[in-house]
Amino acid sequence: MFSHVFVYRLKSIIRDRQLVFWTLMFPILLATLFNMAFSNLSKAEEFVKIPIAIIDNEAYQKSALKTTIAYVSEQDNPKNNMFLVTLTTRAVAEDLLKNNKVAGYIFVDQVAKLVVKQSGLNQSILKSFLDDFNQSSKTFSEILKRDPSKFQALQADAANRGNFLKETSSTKNKPDTTVNYFYTLIAMACLYGGYMGMKEIIAIQADMSPQGARQNLAPVHKMKVLLYDLSAALVVHYCTLLAVLAYIIFVLRINFGDQIGYILLLCLFGSMTGLSFGAFVGAALKKSEGVKIGILTGVTMSLSFFAGMMYVDMKYIVTKAAPIMAYINPANVITDGFYALYYYDTHTRYFMNLSILVGFFALFCILTYLILRRRRYASI
Amino acid sequence: MVIEVRDLVKTYGDLVALDHFNLEVKEGEIFGLLGPNGSGKTTAINCILALLTMNQGTIKIFDQPMSPDAYDIKREIGVVMQNVAVFNELTVFENISYFCGLYITDKKKRAALVEEAIEFVGLGDFRKFYPKKLSGGLLRRLNIACGIAHKPKLIILDEPTVAVDPQSRNNILEGILRLNERGATVVYTSHYMEEVEQICSRIMIMDKGKSVALGTKEELKAQVSMDESATLNDVFLALTGTELRDK
Repeated sequence: MFSHVFVYRLKSIIRDRQLVFWTLMFPILLATLFNMAFSNLSKAEEFVKIPIAIIDNEAYQKSALKTTIAYVSEQDNPKNNMFLVTLTTRAVAEDLLKNNKVAGYIFVDQVAKLVVKQSGLNQSILKSFLDDFNQSSKTFSEILKRDPSKFQALQADAANRGNFLKETSSTKNKPDTTVNYFYTLIAMACLYGGYMGMKEIIAIQADMSPQGARQNLAPVHKMKVLLYDLSAALVVHYCTLLAVLAYIIFVLRINFGDQIGYILLLCLFGSMTGLSFGAFVGAALKKSEGVKIGILTGVTMSLSFFAGMMYVDMKYIVTKAAPIMAYINPANVITDGFYALYYYDTHTRYFMNLSILVGFFALFCILTYLILRRRRYASI
Repeated sequence: MVIEVRDLVKTYGDLVALDHFNLEVKEGEIFGLLGPNGSGKTTAINCILALLTMNQGTIKIFDQPMSPDAYDIKREIGVVMQNVAVFNELTVFENISYFCGLYITDKKKRAALVEEAIEFVGLGDFRKFYPKKLSGGLLRRLNIACGIAHKPKLIILDEPTVAVDPQSRNNILEGILRLNERGATVVYTSHYMEEVEQICSRIMIMDKGKSVALGTKEELKAQVSMDESATLNDVFLALTGTELRDK
């Protein structure tokens, strides 16, 4: 009996074009749009060499600034490639600045001076660099005035400036807020499994569909049929979820980390939660199919919004302002599961999220069972 | 007795749909259930099939109390409902096979029964068609095939010929007679008097949730003192009146 019902339900779900669109094509389309929108956002965060002009006068040619500028503008060394330098006259430099071709220009007199037109990130970097240079130059001059024999030692120090700060990442992977959007997208796709769960509930309820009435007349316990139906729905939905995930990872090249086994497990529990949620909504609401679908869509989109799908900081706002809301939102729990896998070395937070999803699944299944188990219909 | 209903009461709020309704259907007969819209025919059938709750009364099928969990009884019942109850994503063959499979677990036996049902309703050329591609008449025939493929002893048909052309209707009626000849007891509800007159051995006329007349068509005519030339339609109107019911 299981294989009979399972196979036919599998066929029935796969051939439902509307269902396949919402669970497979829609998340893929949305992921593509996200990718197009966020690729520019990532590029904006990349460091671009700062264009500057330097007045090419005698003072500059004799100054230590010339060597320093050459050092921090090495074309082949990405670590020391800060500036795109134009050596020129003051008039041309003024002109370049006026036309926003350079962030500022430097001219060397007694000290190196900076001329900028406006304030901004590039101007701040340029100013910090020049202040540091001037301060170091002054320090070296003072030391040499007092003890000229220190020249060799200072020269060695200048070439090997000690860095007393070490850059370490608090997270395992490079922080990237755009990946969160894709995590919420997968969470939304998980909850879209609700459409399949709801479809199966409608198909076994005599007061919701003629097919349901026919199934209620058969000599099989309807909870058994529902279980077989939901098993087929889970297989289809999990496969669509994997297809969406594969598209995001392999086609769009979004980094989900390297813990593929844990990712697949999270997707499975997400899918189970989505299906059971839809089944619960389908069983609990005494409304028409259209109204039920509308309510399910509205709830799913709201949960995805609070998980940060439309505005990534929403996740943090909710977590800070109403932590309980973050825990009772399945979309947020799934998103947080991916987040934990991507950023953390330990799996404590991941397994906590997984446990919450198991809890949701159990709760929705029990409630659906209690609603349906002995239901006889007052009207059809 | 195949069906035995005693003192059945079913209400929807203040509306009494079945008012102390009684029914007996004997083995091997084609029993016609006639009545105007809202007379309680479909409600009675849904109560008999344990789909609907009832306020009062007892229902026995094959001398056993009927309930939602009475699977041994359900196994012997085939139902053709008023609304076409098939899955649009499954083909004609798959739909019949799916519903038949809920009754028959043996694959070989099921395959033979499905083929027999397809031939019986004349859908041999349409076995790979999806329901949306079928005409109204073919769809009704598919609905019948889904209900009878498992060869039940009791077949309940609730207005199976609604919105089908005369040719398809004739085909369906002939099919019902053949099912009866095969040994099935049939309960048939319809609005069409000539259909009931054509195939039913006994007829019950219902109105306002009650039985107002019961017997063969000759007995019904005698009950309202009509001569031989009177039709069942005349008897029906004499018993239920001419007042419009769908107001």
